[in-house]
Amino acid sequence: MPNKGNFILNLYPSTKFMLPLFVTISIFLVPSYLFAYMMLPLCIAIALIAGVAKQFLNLIVKGLLLLVLFIFIIQSVIAPGEEIIWSWGIISIKEEGVMLSLTLTSRIVAIASAFLLFFRITSIRDISQALEKVGMSPKFSYAILATFQFIPEISKRSKVIMDAQKARGVETEGSLLTRTKAFVPVLGPLVLSSIANTEERAITLETRAFSTKGKKTSLHKLHKTKTDMSIQILVIIFIIFLAVGRVMIWN
Amino acid sequence: MELIRAKNINYKYPINDGQSTLKNVNFSIQKGELYSIIGKNGAGKTTLCNVIRGFIPHFHRGELGGELLIEGKDIREWDMSDLASKIGFIFQNPFTQISGVKDTVFDEIAYGLENLGVEIDDIKKRVEQIIDLLGIGDLADKNPYELSGGQKQRVAFAAVIVMDPDILVIDEPTSQLDPKGTKDIFEIIKFLKEKGKTIILVEHKLELIAEHSDYVFVMDDGEIMLDGKVDEVLSMPKVLDYDAGLPQYALLGIEMNRKDPDFNQIPINKSQAELEINKWLQR
Repeated sequence: MPNKGNFILNLYPSTKFMLPLFVTISIFLVPSYLFAYMMLPLCIAIALIAGVAKQFLNLIVKGLLLLVLFIFIIQSVIAPGEEIIWSWGIISIKEEGVMLSLTLTSRIVAIASAFLLFFRITSIRDISQALEKVGMSPKFSYAILATFQFIPEISKRSKVIMDAQKARGVETEGSLLTRTKAFVPVLGPLVLSSIANTEERAITLETRAFSTKGKKTSLHKLHKTKTDMSIQILVIIFIIFLAVGRVMIWN
Repeated sequence: MELIRAKNINYKYPINDGQSTLKNVNFSIQKGELYSIIGKNGAGKTTLCNVIRGFIPHFHRGELGGELLIEGKDIREWDMSDLASKIGFIFQNPFTQISGVKDTVFDEIAYGLENLGVEIDDIKKRVEQIIDLLGIGDLADKNPYELSGGQKQRVAFAAVIVMDPDILVIDEPTSQLDPKGTKDIFEIIKFLKEKGKTIILVEHKLELIAEHSDYVFVMDDGEIMLDGKVDEVLSMPKVLDYDAGLPQYALLGIEMNRKDPDFNQIPINKSQAELEINKWLQR
């Protein structure tokens, strides 16, 4: 994580998790799509404070914008309704459809941006360490951490295998069909070599006393501060407040 | 003092495609000495290392016959986690010898101590010491995945040495390294020996074995064919019958002895070769 002195970045993982938790629950409690859309600026504001706004916006634009536009258009056209706003041939957009897609996309935007931001500001190491603290097995947290560390390694290795297969005459470039065909000779060795490596990896872990039963220590300490506690309590109170409000309005 | 004693060890892997079995292996390992195991591929050297470190029978299955005593206690009765801090193990592939969960070399080296539950301040002190000793300060903040083979192997050594094991089993540490990497690794081995560690080393670079070891075992087909002091074993032409190879100096000596029986002291390293040849020239 960049600069550790940052207030947001220094929060405890479970405190940071309050953001996606709050967003996910609250947008179902408050039925207005405007409220759900407001979650995006909220996330951007938090990203700005945490100093990750650039990467975060990049993720939103690249990953979310196209998806949301697509869903919006399809939903507007397909959804049944009476009030026709605009029509062209057999295609017609109805008011109900627009309302439905506004609600749907607002929720997708809210939940996705909250989770994207959470994983931007929280390292997997912190998450797994926090989970280990509340009783998750070290074996399980090893599996999570090793997987995330392994992803860049896998992509590096697949490039090596790709080159090796190219040298053997497998065509890996060109049309979509050729590239799809090249997938099998690349994927096979990649999976097999990874499996072959697990035995040596297990032995390495054994040499580092991984299976020792006693208590382990950790160089990186996570501290839960008073600020963490107050933020968590505040968010939970706010959620309860919203829930109660929702029930009252219902009745 | 005897640290390890093997009596009639027999072992066969459950899936026997590599043919590396052990037959009637007997030996004794004394504290503070460096033992080298040589022999051609498939002679059972790595299998023997696995038995000494307890991966056989604790990790690999298959029937282990005979007795292997470490400090008088049978390997089957040892707990794997106790063995981790007793016997360090380093093997040939530098690329799989990283924990895979640490972002920096410093943390990677600390991993074993974290698992043993050592106090944080103590860990930091010990890791810093090892980094200084092995001269890998420039790597400390790098990602272990992004190192070269030689650097990874040095980090693997550091990660094991930091746990301060009495015995080190080192299986072909330099087989994937360049000459510079090999030299660095042997510097570390030399340093460990000076610290009084007991070392069991599998290696093919015979000149380096001649220079560093005290005793040599020659293995072939799962058996220890020859064993003894390094000077004795590496000057025996018989070693060549097992395709284990000899140092260049010994090969030269054997050839000279064949031409002139007066040249009867077979040298095994550079200084001995110079001495013997000068003696022979002055005759």
